[in-house]
Amino acid sequence: MTPSLHLLVNGVRREGAVPPTERLLDTLRWRLNLRGTKEGCRSGACGACTVLIDGRPRLSCLTLSHQVGEAPILTVEGLESDPVGRAVLETFVAEAALQCGYCTPGFVVALTGLLKEHPGATETTLLEGLQGNLCRCTGYSSIRRAVTRLSEPKR
Amino acid sequence: MQLLAPTRAEEAIAALLDGPEGRVAVLAGGTDLLLDLDEGKSSPEVLLSLHRLPWRELTWEAERLEIGATLPLAQLEQDPELARRIPGLHEAVGAIGGVALRHQATLGGNLVRASPVSDLIPILLALECEVGLLGSGGERSLPLEQFLLGPRRTALQRGELVRRVWVPALPSAFRWQRVRPANDVSQISVAVAFAPKEERWRIATAGVAPLARRAKAAEAILRGPSPGEEAIAAAGASAAEEAEVRQDRRATDAYRRHLLRTLVLRAIRAVATGVGGQPA
Repeated sequence: MTPSLHLLVNGVRREGAVPPTERLLDTLRWRLNLRGTKEGCRSGACGACTVLIDGRPRLSCLTLSHQVGEAPILTVEGLESDPVGRAVLETFVAEAALQCGYCTPGFVVALTGLLKEHPGATETTLLEGLQGNLCRCTGYSSIRRAVTRLSEPKR
Repeated sequence: MQLLAPTRAEEAIAALLDGPEGRVAVLAGGTDLLLDLDEGKSSPEVLLSLHRLPWRELTWEAERLEIGATLPLAQLEQDPELARRIPGLHEAVGAIGGVALRHQATLGGNLVRASPVSDLIPILLALECEVGLLGSGGERSLPLEQFLLGPRRTALQRGELVRRVWVPALPSAFRWQRVRPANDVSQISVAVAFAPKEERWRIATAGVAPLARRAKAAEAILRGPSPGEEAIAAAGASAAEEAEVRQDRRATDAYRRHLLRTLVLRAIRAVATGVGGQPA
């Protein structure tokens, strides 16, 4: 049986039949064609699949689509239309904070969630908040530069 | 597989009792159970999700905190009183997974899964918390030590769900060591609490076999709010000695024993500093 489901993704209401145990990660990538969200470990260790649900960072590989309910979902594809998300994207570009880019959607979405939850967060808070995200290119120094910039008070 | 997501407690209990025995899996945050489903370790006929139940209380009483079973850990962590009133629980919750995982994982789920590597079980054992179990006949409460029967085994009976946890507000500390700070299992974690009225120290450790446990011989060595460095050292040595440590890819048994001693010392000192001034 595939019960029907309504999801609010990046401000757009989507509807369809989704099997009961399907992960949000798979619904986003394979039903809604939003392939920006990446599958890394599929076990909650790498953070590549991070999306925001109700503004909070969540692991889409460990979330059933049917558990989300009416809560708004923001994926990497929706970051540009969010002021905090846009600032994060621009800073990552300015600092070239990526190598292969596979972990990048997870990093920028997680950072957007942290900055929304803790406006004016310190560099330490942001770095601690990113401990759940892995970059296997170990491109951390450029990611750290972006975090430093995002934690500086805006003039 | 069928997914049920009741909005009322009675419906959830009924679903447990009506479902095929042993074939109903209860889903809270899902951070552990969904991995079992992927690996085929669990193949229930019914998945009973608790996410629509209003079980997210966070209520301070005079001397304890009531926590609803399905409150995400991140919301517990963000409580403005927690770090001051139950510092060890604040430290332990903040050490679980990463931020995104803590927005999913729940206290009830952690207890029911009764994982040998749970970082929440040692602090809740040290604080001597009570677990509220809801069944068709009402709610009963059990000390956590009686709730946990072994790895992956609890005192939950058919038709019962963990409804809430009561955590006494006590001076406490949590210390851990990991290969990676987030989304990893601790090699050893240690929780210490001090009950001022009874002048009793309580120590619990995880990363030991077969499940997190109290180090009661070590506890008995400590007296008064400022036990002194000699007693603290003896308690650390005792905790390391009495534990049955595991050896796996995360750490050797010798390293785990070393960690146990060191982290027990640090956790006791942290509590003693907060309670009775700098330890001698």
